[in-house]
Amino acid sequence: MNKNIGVYVCECGPNIPERIDIDKVVNEISSMDEVKTVKKYSLMCSNDGKKFLKQEIEKEELTHVVVAACSPKDHENTFMKVCEEAGMNPYLFQIVNIREQCAWMIPDKEEATSKAIQYIQAGIHRVLFHEPLEKKELEINVDALVIGGGISGIEASLSLAGPKRKVHLVEKTDSLGGMAGKLSQILPHQGSKIKSVKEKIEQAKNNENINISTSSEVKEIRGFLGNFEAVIKSTPENGEEKEQEIKTGAVILATGFDLFDLKENPAYGYEKNENIVSALEFEDMINSEKIVLKNGKKPKSVALIHCAGRKEKGYCSKVCCLYNLKFAHYLKDNFPDIDVKELYMDLCLPHKQDQSYFDQAKEKGVEFIRMDEVVKTKSSGDQVEIEYKDNDKTDKLKADMVVVAPAMVPSKDTSHLAELLNLPLDKSGFFKELHEMLDPVATPMEGVYITGCALGPKNIPESMTQSHATSGKILSSLIPGRKIVPEVKVSKIKEELCTGCQTCLSVCFYGAISYDPFKGVSVVNEAICRGCGNCVGSCPSGAIHSKHFTYTQLYQEVLDALR
Amino acid sequence: MKNQNVLVIGSGVAGIEASLTLADAGLNVHLVEKDSLIGGQTIKFEEVYPNMECATCMLAPKQQEVLQHDNINLYLLSKVKKVEGSVGKFKAQIDKKARYVSLVNCIGCGACYDPCPVSLDNVFEEGMSQKKAIYVACPGALPNAPVIDPENCVRLNGKKKDCNACEEACGFDAIDFTEKDKTIDLDVSAIIVATGFDQFDVKSLPEFGYGKHPNIYTAMEFERLYAQNGPTGGELTLREEKPIKSVGIIHCVGRKEEGYCSGVCCMYSMKFAHFIKDKAPKAEIREFHTDLCIPGKSHQKFYEDLAKEKVNFIRYKEIDVKGKNGSLEVNYTNNNGKKNSFKPDMVILSSAMISSAGTKDLAKKLGISQDSMGFFTTQNENLSPIDSEKEGVFVIGCAEGPKDISDSVSQAEAAAGRVLSILQ
Repeated sequence: MNKNIGVYVCECGPNIPERIDIDKVVNEISSMDEVKTVKKYSLMCSNDGKKFLKQEIEKEELTHVVVAACSPKDHENTFMKVCEEAGMNPYLFQIVNIREQCAWMIPDKEEATSKAIQYIQAGIHRVLFHEPLEKKELEINVDALVIGGGISGIEASLSLAGPKRKVHLVEKTDSLGGMAGKLSQILPHQGSKIKSVKEKIEQAKNNENINISTSSEVKEIRGFLGNFEAVIKSTPENGEEKEQEIKTGAVILATGFDLFDLKENPAYGYEKNENIVSALEFEDMINSEKIVLKNGKKPKSVALIHCAGRKEKGYCSKVCCLYNLKFAHYLKDNFPDIDVKELYMDLCLPHKQDQSYFDQAKEKGVEFIRMDEVVKTKSSGDQVEIEYKDNDKTDKLKADMVVVAPAMVPSKDTSHLAELLNLPLDKSGFFKELHEMLDPVATPMEGVYITGCALGPKNIPESMTQSHATSGKILSSLIPGRKIVPEVKVSKIKEELCTGCQTCLSVCFYGAISYDPFKGVSVVNEAICRGCGNCVGSCPSGAIHSKHFTYTQLYQEVLDALR
Repeated sequence: MKNQNVLVIGSGVAGIEASLTLADAGLNVHLVEKDSLIGGQTIKFEEVYPNMECATCMLAPKQQEVLQHDNINLYLLSKVKKVEGSVGKFKAQIDKKARYVSLVNCIGCGACYDPCPVSLDNVFEEGMSQKKAIYVACPGALPNAPVIDPENCVRLNGKKKDCNACEEACGFDAIDFTEKDKTIDLDVSAIIVATGFDQFDVKSLPEFGYGKHPNIYTAMEFERLYAQNGPTGGELTLREEKPIKSVGIIHCVGRKEEGYCSGVCCMYSMKFAHFIKDKAPKAEIREFHTDLCIPGKSHQKFYEDLAKEKVNFIRYKEIDVKGKNGSLEVNYTNNNGKKNSFKPDMVILSSAMISSAGTKDLAKKLGISQDSMGFFTTQNENLSPIDSEKEGVFVIGCAEGPKDISDSVSQAEAAAGRVLSILQ
């Protein structure tokens, strides 16, 4: 192919000529044999400038273009678009930053000018080795697979299901509702009673666009955004085991949480005395309206212990203070004579309504005692005695009944699913979000999202919010009738050089590389690869290159830049 | 086909995320921002907890995306004037103030600032630096173009009608003194309110001595003091430019008065300790807190690491700050009722997040109410805290109540999910 290279030097108004001798640059570059034409222009990114560039490409029949101007962050896309409009492959373009890197950096005009010339020469020698890259379009499936039938999974399903979108909701137990379904009531100041969980279950069951599989688990899952395949295995108690294969566009993990095993720390005395119960057992008592001791009598005093497992696990579970307050309110409302004490480390009341809920409990006569930790819990006559420490001082209190609030811990399925989908876990064993601050429900695997307590402890409204967030992510990226365009600048592995060491697999954050055992080489899935280049740098045999950042391209560029 | 237009009010991190999620789905987003730049409060932070990432670097790509997105119409210096109608067919009127600088022509070179004869306090920098009547809030502000303050520009306020210093300095014909304020009519199917928060006014509590002693800082002042693009270029010094030897950081300022815990102050106060350890490693740091509210799954570790670094954590019951002969004295009663005092050379007041100043006015226009704490009321019938009382109007981020960036982003994506779910 005949290479017609056009070079355009943008002045950026007075910004570049103030420090760089543009005419000298144009002269010097004109003398290069590789170049067909060199011109300067006052402001290339203006509408007139873009028109000028388009006309030039057409008139001069250019095959390659170099623009020397500002940072690629500012206008690389602008000029690539112009190239495309003029009928050129946009990847046969190179931007050279002579504003930030030369004009704005070097006070001496001569020095800045010669550096600019050098950089432009580097750009020209690089663009000579550019290859035309083509965008691909892939058909998509817009359905969603939701794993976990708790309140988070149900809400995500309801939000996603529609006339053009099916949802497969998979729950491992034989009924929907999860942990929220077991609670006596949802915190009254945060909304309505438990009936809304039941209502939502009914809504999901009645929605013809939601396929519910209970007593089922996901056995296999592979693919990428818009094109996942999964195998669901159902083992109903009185039915036949069956497997079905489904296609789906996105996956939501809503696998919830488990509770800290109170026996792990003997200080809580759990199972040592029958009147020491866990918070979940106390929820059951409220549900059956039987707050009684093992001897059948009503307790005269109840102690609520917060933060069981906080020190052991290394994090605060956020919701325990509030549900302990809920218990206290329940007790004081129904049995005003019961003496209620709460033993806490720090009161964690982070939502705007929480403080007044606490203040009200105090008004009702609930006593709050701060402690650093529980030292021992043991039987003392008919009562339970709690020994606790505060500021190196120990103290004791007695109560007829003790309710212990265990920390929330990752559900048992977490590590298995993480392995299945190649997802990272955080230090506590919960799923790790793609970005803790800016992408809190996404994972490195595009198309796989997480909601609710599978990501870490949170309350029901927050879980619902995250479910809507996963739905927002999916509704925004998988649109019926639209195709998806994967990244163009992806990695490529030369099979003949690959030794099959699989180093690249371990550095790929996105799970885009797999190992082909028959050929003994690694393979890049171009639909998943995002072109970060980690694998390129890690490959000990130099078998991988990044399209648009090949060794030759970089070498040619560096050769001039370091001259 | 249902109306595919959505109005987003406020361009902080929540407004940005909601706009991008909706715009990527192909909806037409009208993003209204009262200021001349986008990014809200987040871009004021040098680093954010728990991973100490640079907030401006984190958000800049998203800001750029907003500015370049074909489906986002951005109205800067704009406020909602009127809203009528109901879900699916809202009619909104937007008042857009003139910028007097063309965003098409301006390339952000900054040649216009120096010649301007007017000097003013920079509100973005909490008044800790000066700006001209033509200015950008801080280096790196996006869009990268200045704005003229019409009240203080001597040409526009009529004090010196022939001043054209900035116009003369501009090489791009970007200054336009003839630009007029505009009113824009929009038909939208849903409205997302993301108007953020303000800081509790620490002056209202004289016991903390703010304003009486130069080295008592608010949290936001300290954020800017630490920022590379802030008034001191990131140099951590006292007002009289002496190095820092000891710092007292006081949590929960305004909690009692406002009646709620803001949920984020413990963490950012500890972040400050990180900052100080970083730039003044020998400084003695004491964190005065009540309950430590550190509910995120990685937050306790952040605290434990700091405690190991010899940051002193003190649980207080009562506290006040006095300025004495040019030095500071923090007097406190600890958990056991013991009185004590500490003489740091800097005090930082971590104050509550309160509803933003325009909340009352906007609530009235939208036909929704404020809760007892001043934030927009959200209803919980669906157990979702982002639905306002009015169908099709969603409230996200700190407009709904104090929260961190992560929860704000979740709510933003959730609002987008609700809107897209209704429209699908």
